[in-house]
Amino acid sequence: MKLGKWLQQQDIDTSCHYTFAFIDEGAKREIRRKTLKAIAIPGYQVPFGSRDMPIARGWGTGGIQLTLSLIGPDEILKVIDQGSDDSVNAVNIKAFISQVTGVRLTTKVQEATLIQTRHRIPEEPLRKGQILVLQVPIPEPLRIVEPSERETRRMHAEADYSRMWLHLYENIVAYKEIMIGSRYPVFVNDRYIMDPSPIPRWDNPQLHMSEGLYLFGAGREKRIYAIPPYTDVKSIEFRDYVFRVEDFGEATCCRCGSKNTFLNEMIDDRSGKRIYSCSDTAYCSNLLDQKREGYKP
Amino acid sequence: MIRPVLKIKGLSKRHGRGCPSCYNLTGPQHDRNICPQCQSVVACHNITFELFPKEVLGIVGESGSGKSTVIKLLNFDLEPDEGELYVNHSNSEVENRIGLPLEGQNLFTLNSFRKRLLRNFMIGVVYQHPHLGLRLNVSSGGNIAERLLMADWRHVGDMRERSAELLAKTEVPVSRMDEPPRNFSGGMQQRVQIAKALSNEPMLLLLDEVTSGLDVSVQARVLDLIRSLQHELHVTTIVVSHDLGVIKMLTSRTIVMKNGHIVESGLTDQVLEDPQHPYSQLLVSSALT
Repeated sequence: MKLGKWLQQQDIDTSCHYTFAFIDEGAKREIRRKTLKAIAIPGYQVPFGSRDMPIARGWGTGGIQLTLSLIGPDEILKVIDQGSDDSVNAVNIKAFISQVTGVRLTTKVQEATLIQTRHRIPEEPLRKGQILVLQVPIPEPLRIVEPSERETRRMHAEADYSRMWLHLYENIVAYKEIMIGSRYPVFVNDRYIMDPSPIPRWDNPQLHMSEGLYLFGAGREKRIYAIPPYTDVKSIEFRDYVFRVEDFGEATCCRCGSKNTFLNEMIDDRSGKRIYSCSDTAYCSNLLDQKREGYKP
Repeated sequence: MIRPVLKIKGLSKRHGRGCPSCYNLTGPQHDRNICPQCQSVVACHNITFELFPKEVLGIVGESGSGKSTVIKLLNFDLEPDEGELYVNHSNSEVENRIGLPLEGQNLFTLNSFRKRLLRNFMIGVVYQHPHLGLRLNVSSGGNIAERLLMADWRHVGDMRERSAELLAKTEVPVSRMDEPPRNFSGGMQQRVQIAKALSNEPMLLLLDEVTSGLDVSVQARVLDLIRSLQHELHVTTIVVSHDLGVIKMLTSRTIVMKNGHIVESGLTDQVLEDPQHPYSQLLVSSALT
């Protein structure tokens, strides 16, 4: 049963039983404090007391808690899941947040003041004042090389990243290339190695010297970290094996015809052929509208 | 006069709660290293010695005499309870990184970040068990590259070249460079470990029972290799062993340890031919000839 419907049936006045934005003010204050700390130490994972949310941990609770602690009544919110405004996760989170805050929703990046996302960064660069909240499943970039949390914390503290480099070296020995598709680790402010959440490599360059603020929330793992505006963010690379983004060759989006976006590969049901479409649906639709209106840039 | 490259003063390490009489009630004169009052283990006490440039020093003693503890302390694997370590060696790269001049600095008081830098840039260690010094699931080349990565090498081609060079020097077939040491025999694993320890051209090389787990013919080849590397590279080395044959073959000066204390030290030939302390006499007389 939907929360709203249930509340109606119970004849409960929601305005006095829920604080604005669902979580209590004390929790919000704690999350904001931890967020400020994260911004002060770019790339450092700040532990926080992850609260129970009406969805299961591991389903975006870190991102939701960040969003709810930051949101004000005048905010304009956009929520995307793997680039799409209309997928299940995005729609449900949007419905929940609008129910507990009543804020305006949008699909346009330019309009939004706060964007929550999972596994993608919008194609359009953030502008000054915008905040992008990312949902993070595994905040620890060193987890693939070291299972112990105590040890990974020591490695971060001493900037002992040789094992991460060794992991990449072994990749090159085995496959002649660094075989990391998503969650490609980055160096933030020449200090911490950070997990950018499972965004494709395509999105990594967007993190560098961005005008907007990036916040990362891991609800299950209870960590918050951040990339403040104008921070140096480098994808890790060797001098002779440099970082590169995905290469789609000659492929173009089957809807908007775009060549310079991150594309999803699909099989066309009718023809059985391989087709591509933009992963960022709002960007794609926007481009399509502009084309229909005969807009010439 | 030659200045010592390394000075170790009053090194002590105790495991357990500890009590004021720990050090008085243990040692060779009591023939124990467990304190009868608090049951703490005194792994080593008041170890003082100097190491001269290009010298090979042997530490010999029975199991539990504290030989390996000394090596672990020098490699910063353990924190000493007391003791000072000074180095007479200037390495501008390391000094720039840690932001301190090395000379006159008690290295045990540095923070763990600086200690790790020192270890990465200046110390090479070879353990008795290859799994302690190697990542058995990572390629042999990768194992050597790890040391180079610690010293901030960031060029895959250069690292592979250096790894191949070192493996060739330690008689590991370069064609097997991309195989993990898991696939290798014990002697070969030990040679990969030696290559790894030498990769960053260390100022100090620590060999902890390197040949103890190997059969005699392989032992002989590894010892041969170490000796020829010594001739070629002139690295200051500490060799720890319970095997007097190894000590005799590799070292010029020897320290005899018992119950965590140094009981005798001197030129290797002198110690082996004319041992003074009863324990050294026992050790020499029990050696198989």
